[in-house]
This record gives sequence, structure tokens and C-alpha cells, in this order.
Amino acid sequence: MQDSPTPPSIVSQPQPDNSALLLQDENLWYKDAVIYQLHVRTFCDSNGDGIGDFRGLTTKLDYLQELGINAIWLLPFYPSPLRDDGYDIADYTSVHPSYGSLEDFKDFLVAAHNRRIRVITEMVVNHTSDQHPWFQESRSSRENAKRDWYVWSDTDTRYQGVRIIFVDTEMSNWAWDPISKSYYWHRFFGHQPDLNYDNPAVREAMWQVMKFWLDIGVDGFRLDAVPYLIERDGTSCENLPETHEIVRDFRKRIDQAYPGKMLLAEANQWPADVRSYFGNGDEFHMAFHFPLMPRMFMAVKLEDRKPIIEILEQTPQIPDTCQWCIFLRNHDELTLEMVTDIERDYMYDEYAVDKAMRINLGIRRRLAPMMENDRRRVELLTGLLLSMPGTPIIYYGDEIGMGDNIYLGDRNGVRTPMQWNGGWNAGFSSADPERLYSPLISNPVYGYQAINVDSQRRSAHSLLSWTKSVIQTRNAFKVFSRGSIEFLNPSNHRVLAYVRRLGEEKVLIVNNLSNSAQAVELNLQMYKRHIPIEMFGRNLFPRIGDLPYLLTLGPYQFYWFRLRRI
Amino acid sequence: MAEESFLADDFLRQLMSVGEVDLLIGIPSYNNASTIGQTLQTVEDGLRQNFVRERVVILNMDGGSGDETRQIFERRSERREPNHKGLTTLRTIHRISCQYDRSPSQGLALRDIVAAADLLRARACSVISPVTTNLTPSWVANLLRPVYREGLDFVAPLYARSRFQGLLARDLLYPMSRAIFGNRIRELYCDEWGFSGRLASQCLEQDVWHEEAIRARPEAWMAVKAMAAGLKCGQYFLGPKTASAAGSGPDIVDAIRQTVGNFFWCMETNQPAWMNRPNSQPIATFGPEHELSSDGLPQSQDKTFDLFRSGVNELEPILASILAKETHAQIKAISLTDRAKFHFAGELWVKTLYEFAASYHRAVLNRDHLVQALVPLYRGRLYSFLQEHANSSPEAMEAQSEMLCQEFERQKPYLLDRWTAKT
Repeated sequence: MQDSPTPPSIVSQPQPDNSALLLQDENLWYKDAVIYQLHVRTFCDSNGDGIGDFRGLTTKLDYLQELGINAIWLLPFYPSPLRDDGYDIADYTSVHPSYGSLEDFKDFLVAAHNRRIRVITEMVVNHTSDQHPWFQESRSSRENAKRDWYVWSDTDTRYQGVRIIFVDTEMSNWAWDPISKSYYWHRFFGHQPDLNYDNPAVREAMWQVMKFWLDIGVDGFRLDAVPYLIERDGTSCENLPETHEIVRDFRKRIDQAYPGKMLLAEANQWPADVRSYFGNGDEFHMAFHFPLMPRMFMAVKLEDRKPIIEILEQTPQIPDTCQWCIFLRNHDELTLEMVTDIERDYMYDEYAVDKAMRINLGIRRRLAPMMENDRRRVELLTGLLLSMPGTPIIYYGDEIGMGDNIYLGDRNGVRTPMQWNGGWNAGFSSADPERLYSPLISNPVYGYQAINVDSQRRSAHSLLSWTKSVIQTRNAFKVFSRGSIEFLNPSNHRVLAYVRRLGEEKVLIVNNLSNSAQAVELNLQMYKRHIPIEMFGRNLFPRIGDLPYLLTLGPYQFYWFRLRRI
Repeated sequence: MAEESFLADDFLRQLMSVGEVDLLIGIPSYNNASTIGQTLQTVEDGLRQNFVRERVVILNMDGGSGDETRQIFERRSERREPNHKGLTTLRTIHRISCQYDRSPSQGLALRDIVAAADLLRARACSVISPVTTNLTPSWVANLLRPVYREGLDFVAPLYARSRFQGLLARDLLYPMSRAIFGNRIRELYCDEWGFSGRLASQCLEQDVWHEEAIRARPEAWMAVKAMAAGLKCGQYFLGPKTASAAGSGPDIVDAIRQTVGNFFWCMETNQPAWMNRPNSQPIATFGPEHELSSDGLPQSQDKTFDLFRSGVNELEPILASILAKETHAQIKAISLTDRAKFHFAGELWVKTLYEFAASYHRAVLNRDHLVQALVPLYRGRLYSFLQEHANSSPEAMEAQSEMLCQEFERQKPYLLDRWTAKT
């Protein structure tokens, strides 16, 4: 973070009256979304080749609709050598043959839209695969017309001091190209050369790619690795002003030609640094709140609300039309870049004792195993995710408590096939098990015979049923997606309590972060005479009076109350 | 629990909010407005530097300060901690301020501290004095760490001393406590110390909190409880210590009443723990080697000698009732010697103290008066010590001190004889 004056925090300032935004403004759909993140490869295989595909995914849309999510974020599905799980794109305007055809994608998109589910696709704008024709041309000779589409240098000493992101595998941000006998710049893997955004032709080409998918009907893009688009000597080559210019240009074109489409930034930075990517509402619509995620895990392990409060107090306000994206787990490691060394050590010690659980600066585990399969903690964290300010993202399989396989390479342990039932290949594919793109989780605790959609559908008390219920509750009240947040500060630091408020709608959230029963006294004088109504059971609680409001909570228990003045 | 309801409701409510902790730091205060803020800051720094993950509470137990001690503590408590760029702990540092009584009593302050430690199931605790002006963050860590990490139950401080500092401790309290209780804790009377939650719980069970003997100095009693229970004791070298004007200490009369009186009372109330205890054993000592530093002789001690001589004379009937005839005669004899040739031998000093202890046990007279009668004799011993060691090296003085300790241990059977004598 820079040493500039701290901007007003999302919690320290009175929130603006958002009632104007309450209009059924379809263009702001992303603010009210509950996003489900999946890779088409992992979800359902329709043709028995062992790899999930769009036709298979389409057959599972009813399940997703039933779950209550209203947007899908698809991981890269483009043709790719798949050396980085598809983030090494070799063709931006097609579908990897393993996942089907472009027509299959279009059919899927129509089917999703018919269920009022929007589709967000991945747009890896910073780099391509070294197999992409653009790079093949660029490296072919120094005189090639696309030579300047990438960042070339005769030495590997330019941009000295710029950090290496994949510290486990990369020694330098430069790689030697034996064909054109020069170095090319790459912030990620060596087989992912960075595009040169100083070249207007590159920007135009990338806009044409976006336009291609927007014309087909996708609802938004998650722009990967945004901070790294531009390089300049003497800088960190991150978050440079020129990068913002590029984003503004993309946004302007989208707003003009495709109103209602959304841009989501992947910028693993401190909130104050990410704030600039919202601009004045003229850059990204949404951005991930990376530092909040590890702190939610930390708060539950520490049994102390401090990490969450601290990071949200450092989180600046954003324009009314913008929104933070929050998540617990995703396809990558649980990144620990946005924590201090002390915090990282703590997270490793508590959540990744086995070194095999660690990768880069993070932890490659899923939600349920990290919570030691403790249903109460999984629910508490999911409850936090769904009640905090921001649009929540649920990673596929976490709604049923899927496990991981830390012995698979890279981050593949959290990318195993979706577990639909206890039958052949977990209902994911009819192929021989040996042919699956990845082994299934098959251990006694998290294996597909124990953890699967079908069995949980049959139980009203399963994690899946609970998740549906809590998403349904969130979706019923816009205060969760658009309301302000005000932290209460009870003296019991094991309890995290806050009020979400939007106009006259008020919701009180009280979370016990600890493994033991807690009593807490809340100062609710602002809400005197209100009646708390527990939102899941719809039970009335005693009216708020003059005295501090006393609540007791069991281990990891949480309450959501509507505060009604009747 | 000694009493059912000595904890104030507000204090209990605050403890409930804190919940279980790993570390508890108690800061007893009374009119310490000028130093309490810095003390709290230093304690917090000690925690941030050394215990970033632990669950921690800092208690300010106030004895009814008339100044702004509590307000300053509470105001600082509201101060926001540094953000991620600075030094910080992962968890909230809980801070509680409470008035335990309307008048100051270190004993009652400790009672509430150990009660809090028991209720919060603290693993390691320490008491930190707000009168210590050179407290450093490492002191806090060094008193807590041996308890928290090494499993000790009582950790005394070791302070850096010059040759003529802390003579009451070096010439009386340390060698005597070492011989009696068999534990080589050098600073039994201290302003900062560490202890375990287990020891806190055991102390809380004792019904002693309103005893005059521990009103001012409860720490030695706590150490004795640890020794008596066979718990592990240790000491940590903290370095030199300076105190604010408020903590400049009592005069010699009060000092002896508070420490020696307290020590005799500890002997009296813990007889089974020491009577059959064999010779002393070294204890775990942490930190760098401690040694005396050289400095000049204090100013003229002529007045000290005069007070010794007049005291022996004026208190003759009282001393006669306390001391054995032979001992009394020897003391009277040396009090008549020429100032230049005066020598109060270690052997006589040890015998004198043991006879005082035994007489305290038998309550031959008012115990407070008995302890006060020791004051002129201590002055004599002090004068003799200063004369003898005016030019001694620190090493020689250490060697002499060790010899005195051994003398105390050698004569312990004599103490037992006197202690158990029928008349």
C-alpha cells in the first residue's frame, strides 16, 4: 500500500443512500449475483471421453438453478496446450475440442440465460501461450509484423527488481527464445509471453476478441492478471497508469456497444491499490477482494474478529456502480500474498502442516478439508461469505463439501471431477476411470461415495440443502448485496457482529468465531424498539430495549436477524 | 476460591468477554498516572514482538488512584493498533481496567490477578510494575517465556546490581530463603515476576489475601507456594532496574517490615514445606550471566553504626527476649567495640536471624515489634559489610556472598532446634 492518506473505509463512513440503485436496474445484475465458479472440464462429461464438456455442463444447469446461484464464472475453455490449466491460450475465439464446439458453447449460453443464469468467461489478456499464432509469428523474425506484439529485449536486465510471481518455478521474468535469439518478458510461466500493450494493434486485437464473445452473448469477463499489462523501467511494472488507460478504453467500448456487460478484475493487491481499478466507475465493475479471504480463515482459527475488521477498515469505498467480489476458495491456491510474513506463517502452520499442501505463496486445499470437515465451520465461513459486502463466489463442489488431493501436481488437487453420485466415476463420466482427466477423490471421508450431490439432495439437513437455503435467504434481500455495513464492537472479540443496511431494510449478523459457546452483549441502541427476526427459522427474538442486547451462541454458531420495527 | 464475591460485576463482565487466554499480564497501580501509559505501551510492544499468535489480556488492577491512572490506561486501550505495515499481533490484545479496592494493596491486586488467571485459564502470567521506568519489551517476554514455553511455574527477575545495591536481598533474604526453602531464587522480593496459571489457581485457593503480611509484598509468598508445592522455579536476568519517584521504595524500617516480616510469616505458614527440606539446589536461570558491577562506596555510614549501637542499647530487653543469651551477649560486645575494628561476623548474623525467626514463630512478643527490633542489628551488619568490602572486587564479594549462603545452610539444624524447642 502506498503512504497516501487513507481513503474513507467502507465501514468507517456512513454509507450513501443506495435507494436509487434499488431500481430494478438490470445493468447492475453483478451486484446482486451469487457466482458459481467452475471449469467445464471438471463438471460433467457428456461423450464419455473422461473430460467434462459444454454439453455435459448444460445438463447440469438445473442443478445450478436449484442451488440458487445466478451467474457462472467459467475458467478458460479455449484451445490451449494446457500447461497452465488453460491460462495459456492458443486461440481466443474458439473452444478447446475436448470441451466441445463453439456451437456447444452457444447452446449452453442460451440454456443458462433461459434459467436467468448469466455467464462470465475468463479473458487472459496479459499473456498468451507460446503456441499462440501471434507469438509464433512474433518470434519468427525480428522483422515480422507481429514482432512488436510481445515484449522483446536483447538483454535480460531490463526491468530489474520486478518481483517473480511463480517463485517455485521461475528464476527470471525473462526467457530466452532460441528462434529469434532474444529474450521475451513473462510475468507468469516461461511459456506464457506477455503481450505488449504499448502496441495499439494488440489492444485492438484484444478488443476484437472481447467483441467476439460479447456478440455471442457472454455477460462479462474476468480479466486475468490485469496489473501487469504495461512495463516501465524503474517501476514494479504493476498497476501503472497506462494500465488504467487501457482498462478505461475497454470499458468505454463495452459501455457504448454492450451496456450491461461486466468486467471483473483479477488484481491480487491491497484494497487501496485495487481501488484504482474501479476508477470513477469507468474501469472495472468488480474486483476481487483478495486480502479478505485469508483473513476469514485466520479469524476462525484465531477465534478473533480482528483480522476481518482490520482489513475491512482498510478497504476504501468504491463507486456506487461497483462491487467487490469475495470468495473463500477457488481454482488456485489459497493465496497468501496479501498477508504479512507472520500471518503467512500462521496460516501455513494451522492450515498446511503437510508441506504438500503448500504451493507458491499459498495453500492448495479445498474448503471442507481445511475446516477438517467440521460442518459448523464450513457453514460459518459460508455464512460470512454470503453476508459480507460484495458479490460472493462459490467454488464448484464446495457446496457439498468436496475434498482435495494434495498429491496431484500444481493446483490440480482442487480441480478434480465434480461428485454427482456414488456410482461409476461419481456420475461425472461414463469413461473408464483410467481415462478421466484427473483421478476422482476416493478416500473414505471425502470420496464420491460419501460426498456427492445425489445423496445430499435426499437429505434436508445436508450441507447442500443448507447451502441452498442460505443462498435463497441472501437472494431474497438486496440488503446483502447492496447494503452498507456497520460493525458493532462488542467487548467479546470472539464474536463478529455487524449490521447491513439498505434504506429501511436492516439485517443484524452475529457470528461466533470460536469453538466454544459465547455470550455477547450488543449495543443496539440505534435499533431500539426493533424486533429481531431470525431469518432461517423466522422466529421472533425479544424486542431491543434500553439494555445491551444479550445473545448466547454455540460453537461457530451464527445468527442472521432482520430488524423490524413493527 | 477464597471468597465467593470479591470480583466486581463489571470486572467479571469484562473477563467474560475476553474468554480463555494464553497470556495474562497484571499491572497493579496506585497513582501511577505519570508512568502507566508507557508501561502499557511497553507491555504491548513486548507482546507484539514475541507473542503475535497468543490470546492475551492485560489487566490494570488499581487501588483507588486519586490521579488519572485508570483513565490514562483506558484511553490508551482505545488507541488503535498499527496496521499491517507495523508491528502487530494476529489477535486482539484485550485490556481491562478495574478498581479492586479503595486503598492500595499489592496483595489484593494479586488476588484479583490470580482470580482472572484462573477464570481465563491463562497458561502464563506476569505482574509488571508501573513504577519501573526502564521496563523494556524484552522483560515482558523474558518473564513469560520460561513459563509459557519451558513449563516453569514461577520466574523471578534477576537485576543487574552494583556492589552495594540490594544488600538486604543479598545479605539476608536470598541466603536465608535459599537455606530455608532450598531454592536459589536471588530476588524473592521483586516488582516484576512471572507465574503459571497452575500456580495462580493454587494461590487463589488460599485464604490469606487480607493478611497484613502480604498486603505490600505478596510475590515472595507466591514463590514460597510454588516451592512448597514442588513446582518448577527459575529466574531471568533482566538487566539494571530503575524506578520512578513513586517507586523509590520504603525506608529501611518499612523495607524490613515488609520483606523480613513477610518472610517470617511465610516460614510460619509453610512449615511442612521447609522443615525437612535438604540443602538448596540451583534453579533454571535464563539470560546472560549476571555479575556485580564496580562502583564507589556509598557515603559515610557513621550514622548507620551509631544507630546500630544505640539500638542495641535501647532495645536490650526486647533483644533479650528474642535472642539466646550467648548471641545477645556477642552482639552487645561487638556494639561496644571501636568503630574502626567493628566486625559483625556472618556466623553471628546467621544465628541472629534464625533466633529472630524462631522467636517470631513462638510469638515471644508482638510480631511486628519483633521484626522492627531487627532493624538496628541489620544496620550493624550493613555497616560491617560496607567496611569489609570497601575495596573488594565484585568477584570477591560474590564469593563472600556464597560463603554466607553456605553458612545459612550449615546452621539450618540450629534453626530447627530453636523452632521446635518447647520453651
